Amino acid sequence: MQFSSFTDWILENGISSQTLELLVAITLLATIVSIARYIFGSKTYGIYAPVILAIAYSYTGLKYGLSVTVIVILTTLLSYSILKRVRMHYITRIAINYCMLSISLVIFFLIIDRYGLGLENMSQIPPLAFISIATLSDFFIKQYVQKSFKTSLTILLSTLIVSTIGWYVITRNHISGYIINNLWIVPVLIIINIFIGQFKGLRIKDYFRFKSITKENVVK
Amino acid sequence: MLLNKKYNDILGLNRRNQEYVRPFNSPSAKAIADNKILTKKILAKEGIKTPEVYKLIKSKKQLRFLDWESLPKSFVVKPNKGTGGNGIIVFYGKKKGETAWIRPSGEVMNKRDIILHIENILEGRFSMGSKSDIAIIEERVKTDPLLKQYSYKGVPDIRVICFNNVPIMAMTRLPTKRSNGTANLHSGAICTGIDISTGITTYSMQMDVKSLLSDTYEDIETTTDLKENKKLSGIQIPNWDEILRIALICQKSSKLGYIGVDIALDRDKGPVVFELNARPGLGIQVANKTGLRARLERVKGLEIKSIKHGIRVAKNLFGGEVEESIEAISGRKVVNITEKILLFHDDGKDPAKSNKEIVTAFMDTGIITSRLSRSLASRIGFLEAIKHFKSLGIPDSFPTLQEAQEYIDKNSTKLLQGTSIRRIAKIIDEQTINIKPVIEARIKISGEIKSVEMVITEDTTHPVVIGRNDLKGYLIDTSKTFK
Repeated sequence: MQFSSFTDWILENGISSQTLELLVAITLLATIVSIARYIFGSKTYGIYAPVILAIAYSYTGLKYGLSVTVIVILTTLLSYSILKRVRMHYITRIAINYCMLSISLVIFFLIIDRYGLGLENMSQIPPLAFISIATLSDFFIKQYVQKSFKTSLTILLSTLIVSTIGWYVITRNHISGYIINNLWIVPVLIIINIFIGQFKGLRIKDYFRFKSITKENVVK
Repeated sequence: MLLNKKYNDILGLNRRNQEYVRPFNSPSAKAIADNKILTKKILAKEGIKTPEVYKLIKSKKQLRFLDWESLPKSFVVKPNKGTGGNGIIVFYGKKKGETAWIRPSGEVMNKRDIILHIENILEGRFSMGSKSDIAIIEERVKTDPLLKQYSYKGVPDIRVICFNNVPIMAMTRLPTKRSNGTANLHSGAICTGIDISTGITTYSMQMDVKSLLSDTYEDIETTTDLKENKKLSGIQIPNWDEILRIALICQKSSKLGYIGVDIALDRDKGPVVFELNARPGLGIQVANKTGLRARLERVKGLEIKSIKHGIRVAKNLFGGEVEESIEAISGRKVVNITEKILLFHDDGKDPAKSNKEIVTAFMDTGIITSRLSRSLASRIGFLEAIKHFKSLGIPDSFPTLQEAQEYIDKNSTKLLQGTSIRRIAKIIDEQTINIKPVIEARIKISGEIKSVEMVITEDTTHPVVIGRNDLKGYLIDTSKTFK
């Protein structure tokens, strides 16, 4: 691939193309999360979870990534519903949940190896990507404990949608290639975020939330 | 939808944070609201009541030495820096012969369960940023009987949003079975808007549990899961002016420019402040069916001289305008305590052709039958009746009501003969018992023409006084009483 002279200079000075791609992807993903939050009103598990999930999906592929996500969430729900009946400290409960997660992922990989289920070649995927997806469990359980199951599930869905959009954007070769060659886009992203940071208008979600106020019988 | 101008009146999260929370709530003021112990201390200095603290547990060591026997039958455990009602457990009673307490759901928690919960609070499981916290064991507020009728087990509270020392909007949150007795809207508590001027409830809503979108509401008219569901609109919140005053004192003492004050009505103590909120939620707009932004902009920059001034501004700017809405919801009309009415002459003509005059009537729920002054009665066609009554030589007063009744029974034919007098009424006026003629007159009140019975009395400040018999189906707005 032909790079611009500035990109070439960076790559020649100790930064690998993979690192540069990842760093640029993070700026894009972070902007996607801030647009999703402040323009659309989509609440995610902070900024870390959707960014790390999108990057993990770029390594695993969306199909594998989402199937591991489903296993992680189902195991978390199962383990939490059992553990909440047992009297114990919060962190120990989370620790047991991670142990159960490891077991269920091992079982899942064994099943895939044996039966395929359309998810062959999973062993080729770097394990760190799966571990990154597994951290979603912590975010999910925290919301579940503090708020409600419905709230946690809604935020999980928003996180997955934003992560999937992020995955789509960073895995398009022409997009990542263009940004790597046009690194001035990174400061532009900063400016976009400054504008989003100043945005005072209603979020798209607010239009649905407050729809009833705009109907008849409105009193100022 | 996006082009609907009505959305301009609504306050969204972006604007709330940028235009109101950040500029008007300093970090030190927010720190007060986010710390319940500090809030209690500051409010105590101003003479504002908060639930009494029984114990403060700062460490596991302190928890180990807690004297459980000294705890009362009912109490509340809450984190000092908790958010959104998380980590709050209410206990209603103690299990006989055991160190165990009963929750609103009927669940029994023994000492070990409570210790575990408090340990979780200390570890920061419910606090902002998961930082280590202090557990508060405090008094359980005993709900005022009025709001208790509309709540399932828990304690309902009233939230007043204040800005620039003016109460802007208010709502009450009523615990339901679905919300497990908590006043948390996300758990399914009912939220009812309150008219800032009168303290009368207006619209109600509940989170739509079926909706996939979070924070979507459905309008409701009655409570949803009580044995006997009750209509939610038209409830007069007790101590309304006092509630507004307390909310403004809380704003002043906390120095939060934009604040949500949560107040509960205690059966014995009256209004008690639960907590101050530096980032109050926006669902209050749905319950009031009106936008916060329009109201906030109307008070921005106003110079408010005192708490009384702030309340007056709120009542003038935002009050009374929901009267029609109350009528629409409750089927009841709102009348002011002194109201201009039309009084038709007794000329037997159709109301459209009949002579009429505008008079100021006083609404008095302390009397049963409405009253009409003698000179006005004479003017509108009852002169003959008054002359006839006067000519009968009736005693000026009677020693007892029974004797007055006996006189009426004995002379009823003579009293009612040949005039427009319908009946004779016994009335007590300035501790004197006397009898007066009752006529039937036509009035137009709040757009409605009706025939009412009126006692002809001596001339007083108000030529017409409307009594309880004719006030059925009306709500009286006392806010515009004496200007």
